[in-house]
Amino acid sequence: MKNNKNQSAKPAVKSGKSVGARIYRYRGFYLMFLPVFVFAIVFFYLPMFGIRFAFTNYNGIKAPDIVWFDNFKKAFSMPGFWSAVVNTLQISVIRLLLTTIFAVVVSILLNEIVNIYFKKVVQTIIYLPHFLSWVVTASLFSLILAPTGQGLVNSFLVNIGVLDSNSMIYFLGDSKWWRFSFYLIGIWKETGWQTVIFMATLAGINTELYEAASIDGAGRWGKMRYITFPALQNTILTVLILNLAKIMNLFESAFVLQNDAVLDVANVLETYIYYQTFNSGAIPNYGYTTAVGLFKSIIGMILVLICNHLSKKVREGRGIV
Amino acid sequence: MKKKKIEIFPIVNAIIFILLAFLIFIPMWKILSDSFDLKTSYGMRLWPQKFGLAGYQRIFSDPLLSRPLMISFITTIAGTLFALTLSTFGAYVLIQWEMPGRTFFANMLLFTMIFSGGMIPTYLVLRDLHLTNTLWAVILLPALNVYNLVLMRNFFEGIPASLFESATLDGCSPMQTFIRIVLPMSKAALASIGLMFAVSYWNDYTNYKLYITQPTLYNFQMKLRGMIMGSDLPQVGGGLAENTVKNAAIIVVIIPFMILYPFLQKYFVKGVNIGAVKE
Amino acid sequence: MKKKLVSLLLVAAMVTSMGCGDKKDEPASNNNDNSANSETQQSESNNSETEQQEETEQTADVEKPEEITIMIDGTVFTEVNARDQFMAKLEELIGIKINVIQPDHDAYYDTVQQTVAGGDWPDVMILSSTYYSGYASQGVLWDMTEAYESSDLKKRHDAASSTSVIDGVKIDGSLYGMPATRGNGCVTYVKKQWLDNCELDVPTNYEGYLAMLDAFTTGDPDGNGVDGDTIGVTAAGFIGAEAPFTNYFPEFYQDGYPSFYQKDDGTWADGFGEDSMKEALQRMADAYAKGYIDPTTLTNGTGDCRNKFFSADNSFGVFTYWAGNWAQRLSDGLTSNGLDGELVALPPLPEVGKYLDRVPPTWCITTKCENPEGVFKYFIETMQDGGEVQFLWTYGVEDVHWSTKAETLFAGTENEKVYAEGEFHGTESLENPGTQYTKGHIDPYIALVPLEGDPKDESSTQAVKDSAQMFAENCVTADLAPSTDKMSELNGDLTTLKNQLVADVVMGKLTVDEAYEKYEADGGAGWSQEIVDSLNNR
Repeated sequence: MKNNKNQSAKPAVKSGKSVGARIYRYRGFYLMFLPVFVFAIVFFYLPMFGIRFAFTNYNGIKAPDIVWFDNFKKAFSMPGFWSAVVNTLQISVIRLLLTTIFAVVVSILLNEIVNIYFKKVVQTIIYLPHFLSWVVTASLFSLILAPTGQGLVNSFLVNIGVLDSNSMIYFLGDSKWWRFSFYLIGIWKETGWQTVIFMATLAGINTELYEAASIDGAGRWGKMRYITFPALQNTILTVLILNLAKIMNLFESAFVLQNDAVLDVANVLETYIYYQTFNSGAIPNYGYTTAVGLFKSIIGMILVLICNHLSKKVREGRGIV
Repeated sequence: MKKKKIEIFPIVNAIIFILLAFLIFIPMWKILSDSFDLKTSYGMRLWPQKFGLAGYQRIFSDPLLSRPLMISFITTIAGTLFALTLSTFGAYVLIQWEMPGRTFFANMLLFTMIFSGGMIPTYLVLRDLHLTNTLWAVILLPALNVYNLVLMRNFFEGIPASLFESATLDGCSPMQTFIRIVLPMSKAALASIGLMFAVSYWNDYTNYKLYITQPTLYNFQMKLRGMIMGSDLPQVGGGLAENTVKNAAIIVVIIPFMILYPFLQKYFVKGVNIGAVKE
Repeated sequence: MKKKLVSLLLVAAMVTSMGCGDKKDEPASNNNDNSANSETQQSESNNSETEQQEETEQTADVEKPEEITIMIDGTVFTEVNARDQFMAKLEELIGIKINVIQPDHDAYYDTVQQTVAGGDWPDVMILSSTYYSGYASQGVLWDMTEAYESSDLKKRHDAASSTSVIDGVKIDGSLYGMPATRGNGCVTYVKKQWLDNCELDVPTNYEGYLAMLDAFTTGDPDGNGVDGDTIGVTAAGFIGAEAPFTNYFPEFYQDGYPSFYQKDDGTWADGFGEDSMKEALQRMADAYAKGYIDPTTLTNGTGDCRNKFFSADNSFGVFTYWAGNWAQRLSDGLTSNGLDGELVALPPLPEVGKYLDRVPPTWCITTKCENPEGVFKYFIETMQDGGEVQFLWTYGVEDVHWSTKAETLFAGTENEKVYAEGEFHGTESLENPGTQYTKGHIDPYIALVPLEGDPKDESSTQAVKDSAQMFAENCVTADLAPSTDKMSELNGDLTTLKNQLVADVVMGKLTVDEAYEKYEADGGAGWSQEIVDSLNNR
């Protein structure tokens, strides 16, 4: 079964011809790529002239003043910077893994539901939280997790006798609990949305495979293990690696859920920079924020290259792109 | 023994999903309940104290609503079509593993995902192209999304190579193969990635905020955001049910995708029968 | 892998080459822009000079600009609130064509930054204190000191004893922007009914304040028969995000101030290290431990606070919030929930001394404006003429934003209002049907120049009037800290550290002494000293 899948992905064209002949053969494809190419140049590569601001002091008014690596030196010398880098990596990697695992399990189980109406209702319900903005989500959960009688979770825990009413847990205001709450809220909000892509992948499985497996005597678990999960493998890898590229960009969700009491575990790079510029009471130095942005990109690139290399082992020599 | 197992599993599975859906739904229900509650309260109240539709009336009686709604529909539809065209074209080219320059193109796209020029340079480029203060800015800028493009390519990879071979033997051009084989084989992919684009166009306000200063070009989301954020601007009067309107606005934004999703789901449910396409 | 590396390198090369290309192009094109700009500017300034010379010969007066471009935030009537009619009326009154750039309110400063970086500067911009002092030091803003000193506006400000507000926005004696109003600040509102239910008088000192909080927290102020299901006071966080940081808990902070301030002798100091701040922290920690301060203060948003205040149960009784119109909005929120809406605006306790007024936003003229004197005289000055133009800025356009015609608003609702002929009132809001306009850009209660025939007392409720007047009589303006390089380098980290320590002390994780040891150990005290030195050695 596994072979079948891989076979389908093998190149249709025999290699070994001269480059010129191959270019000619693919001429139509170059034409099709042209719009994508133009878009990439215009909307992504043209603005990249801004990357050079990383090596300057630039406040958006006077011409940028070249300072080479001063902005990086400044960032690297601040004690808060490295703890923010470590926090970012920890929080976003764990959250990424958790939400993905959760979404995969939910997708596989959803796929087993036979009643189509039940399936539709469940799918629709679990994908709704994605449409709430993070600001709304934060105010909703600061209420649900509040350490008072109005907090749903705490009053539930008190009612079933796990806590007594004087020792309620301040989930979002206590360093010990903050990350746990953060992951939980992330799972609540994005699991359903992530299943969209996994469900679409599952829909692409050739139904003949299941029939053949049934004839071979495979049970439900056998089919899940040998057909459903391998079919998802490619998508899981792609989703994970693509998200790694943006892993250092974690901002809004952490920003709206954090507060002064949990910064030691919650301050990520983007929020650190935000406070650094916003709290300074001065116009932001655009060069500095660009330098930090460039640093984030380089980390993202390293992560993607490593994972891409690993993924080649699974994907027989092909990277994720 | 085996038979019994098969009977138990669906029940357990259904129970799991009933519980899961319930847990996920409670916070949403709280918003829904508050949107019908004319009294403002703080706390996990799950039923309105004083039921009323004033929040929704306030939103839908707004004479200035039709234009932003129209703009939302136009940009969402145009943007999604644009974006799907780019994603499918790009993804189709990226599965041509033997094509000279493929790896270069792939890396060129991947690079844009990792590195970016930043807010001010992007603004300057858009301004010099005279795209600021036009809807083109909000339609074109998000249209090339490498993340979605790579996911799309992932789906295309699953199309059996034999289909492409036979198409080539029939003398199909790349474009003809694309239309005859790739698109019909990728309904689930088009539905899911199209949905992702549609959602991002519908929910977009960042690009509107940054590149459009002309309120007549604002979309529905921008309009409702003002209500959701509970604006403290001087001209905005008290409003007797600030919280009610806010929660109603949150619900109203979601409604289109609550309606749309069940329709799209039919593309996710059917497994693809390759034999049929081969014929 | 090799292939991949090569192509990555290719991409990288492409980017850098593009970057290089741009590096070459960019300054050049910038230069072109600049030279083109300066050329046009020169030629135009030549023109205007010659014109001016002609005019000086003829009228010896400042030339009135024909057309100006202004960049404004959402505090001026927005498009949905009939901005076009407002601007048409303004153009008619002052005789200048006005081009308006009004970005979304939330993105205003993003747009300002983009516009300034892009080089097409408007003639006039509204700027908050941070951008005001930053841009002033970068030469973006025209120095209006001279024009102001010789203007009639100064005379009007002097007559209305508003001079201190203007002095408050001067940077080293120079004025780069004109506030249209005072900054406004927060006063402490107390639910009257709660005081009555607890048989308490309005507190007149800190002891009384604590007794009130105690009664509100442990007693039954909402009269539902349950003791202790209510809270004394809450806010969105223990410390404000912007100056003046103490404005949500003035009674606890008292004379403690967690940031930079100017001493009477003109030197700068950081209040965080002073004993007054340590005492303030101790007061808050004690009150928090006793439950007077809401246990969810840390995670509350301002919206949460308002909802909680309006709530019929589990509510709180003391809320420090904006003076003026908010007095009425808070009261309305309570009444519409079927509760007693009467609020007492608490005069500052003797321990508090004064409430703090924010540094107001200012109207600034950019240095790219061709005729700054003209813009100052005919646009900035007229805004506070005490007459027709100021009236327009304050209340908007007749029969659009306000009216004196007999009418009934919100007929058939519980909010129905009947106005007789000749009675001044705000019309129904275009953006927010069901509500009324109360004011335009200028809030009449914090205006710097009295408005002739001002109907504010007629159009506003007693609650608004009382809270605004009480605040005006009891406030001092917060200090505008100039920006220094040290400040932009260190103050971000310093403020984050201070905020963390405040939260830790108040919530009982650290004692005050431990917190200050940490402050030293983490480098906060050192950073603070460096910034203070930079402020004093400018």
